Amino acid sequence: MQRSISFEVFRYAVILAIVAISLVPTLWMISMAFKPIAEWSAAGADLTWWPRNPTLDNFRFIFGQSSTDLIVALERTAGRPIFASLLTATLGTVIAMTAGTSAAYGLSRFGQGGNLPLALIQLRLFPPMAVMIPVMIMWSFLGLIDNWFGLSLIYGIVTLPFAFWLMKTFFDDMPREIEDAALVEGCTRWRVFVRITLPMMRPALASSALFVFILNWSDYLIALLLTTRDWATIPVYMASLSSSMTGQLYGAKAALGVIAAVPPIIMGIAIQKHLVRGLTFGALKE
Amino acid sequence: MTNVSTMTPVADQPEAPAKSGARLGLWLTLPAQLLVLFIALFPILMQVYISLTDWSPLDGIPWWRAHELWIGLLNYSDLIADSRFWGAMWRTLFVMAVCVPVQFLLGLGLAVLFVDDFRGKRVLYSTLLVPMMVVPAVAGYMFFMLFQSGGPVNDLLSIFTSDPVRIAWLSDPDLALIAVMVADIWQWTPLMFLILLAGMISVPQDQQMAAILLGASWWRRFFTIVLPRMKSIIIIALAIRVIEIFKIFDTLFIMTGGGPGVATETISVYIYKVTQQELIWSYVAAIALAILIVLSVVSVFAIKRMQRGQET
Repeated sequence: MQRSISFEVFRYAVILAIVAISLVPTLWMISMAFKPIAEWSAAGADLTWWPRNPTLDNFRFIFGQSSTDLIVALERTAGRPIFASLLTATLGTVIAMTAGTSAAYGLSRFGQGGNLPLALIQLRLFPPMAVMIPVMIMWSFLGLIDNWFGLSLIYGIVTLPFAFWLMKTFFDDMPREIEDAALVEGCTRWRVFVRITLPMMRPALASSALFVFILNWSDYLIALLLTTRDWATIPVYMASLSSSMTGQLYGAKAALGVIAAVPPIIMGIAIQKHLVRGLTFGALKE
Repeated sequence: MTNVSTMTPVADQPEAPAKSGARLGLWLTLPAQLLVLFIALFPILMQVYISLTDWSPLDGIPWWRAHELWIGLLNYSDLIADSRFWGAMWRTLFVMAVCVPVQFLLGLGLAVLFVDDFRGKRVLYSTLLVPMMVVPAVAGYMFFMLFQSGGPVNDLLSIFTSDPVRIAWLSDPDLALIAVMVADIWQWTPLMFLILLAGMISVPQDQQMAAILLGASWWRRFFTIVLPRMKSIIIIALAIRVIEIFKIFDTLFIMTGGGPGVATETISVYIYKVTQQELIWSYVAAIALAILIVLSVVSVFAIKRMQRGQET
């Protein structure tokens, strides 16, 4: 399409301005993460946009190395929360993907579970806050509070709608000729699913799993309610990086924020082709 | 969740499945069905029961004996008179009424700029998506830093004024709500952009070409061809944001904790506070149930309407 030069200039100006605005908060945090204590503790006029003396002190500090400039030592280091986040987000993804993929296949090929699409959309619709009282009671009854399995299980349920809908659209798109051919050869339907369909769907499974993982990794509210100490995830732990003596440990929080923010950004960009599909429950496949 | 079994399938029914397939299908859907049942049926029954009592975890009796504290519908009548609840409700709706249109218009504008090819499109597109992939709690922490009185937002504003600006954004009741909305707009405009752009690209080109040949202006083509064709995707994009803002918690809670006072207290923050700080769980159950019922009715109605809209 023919466009005038002035339009091109306008387009770049607007886009670059918005790109700048959308990057500034993230860049500010990254900059904070590499500032030595003297540069972030004085939360006053002399905050600079770039660290004058870049350092890894903040990262060392959250992993337990005490610092000479900062009198406080951490009661708990960031290692455990990072592990808790990784483990529960991964297991939650496994639960959601297992139940979601098999249910999506059951519906897409055999028409079973016709209530699931709407039930799962509704599950997605409700604020987690609105079912948390019974969940907290059930979880404490089952001994699942502040427990890796308890958190993984609720993550698996909460992200099940996304796993199901994503895989359903992928199965709906997949041509059935190959499966039919294998059936004619005498394979059982189960063998067709496990030996032919699933291996063919490997890229789709990987994208869906990454998508679900990002969602689990991003949770804050559920972990806030269901963990107290041992299995506190990164965002819950982050709040403990401030004390009455030192106030907000800006640099330490920024360092942990960088660690928390990087994996989903990389994964998200890796699967951007499927983001629309995942976010709109397959209503639009880019 | 409340009327799961009466739902009709949205999917196209595949051709009549063989019997063995039907049985395998049942087995395959079983885990998901159980998980949905586990999170829907039992909790909701429990919620109904507890909401009719005055039970709290501090009472020292297990929840199944809550009937000893039976108060009937008192929690619900309290709810109707609870000005803090309604304040939180209106605040949530206000945030929605501001953020959703702003995100929509920004996203639509960006989508228009991105719809045809130009140099650097792919990189700029990926960069624009970064905010929505930042963990919301971390985004909350970023904006907490940015809006400090000695922080960069004030630094930027100082460029335009003679005196350095030292606004305490997060401790001013009016400004705190603005700061929270800025954070939401920053994080979720990319989502609108992503969905609207995908919708815009999927609008077929032939009609537009015909319109160009007939000399229709860009604005005319946009409003008479492109936008009407995007109707359903626009509704989906708006619905996603409306739903998510109704639940808004993470970013906001980390930035302000609902404060100062109750100035940024939304529905989720209010429920959280009653749950964790005041520990009146029976009352929370009543609030949650009321919200679930309203949302169920609204969502069933909306989904039915959309399905009817798709068929015609």
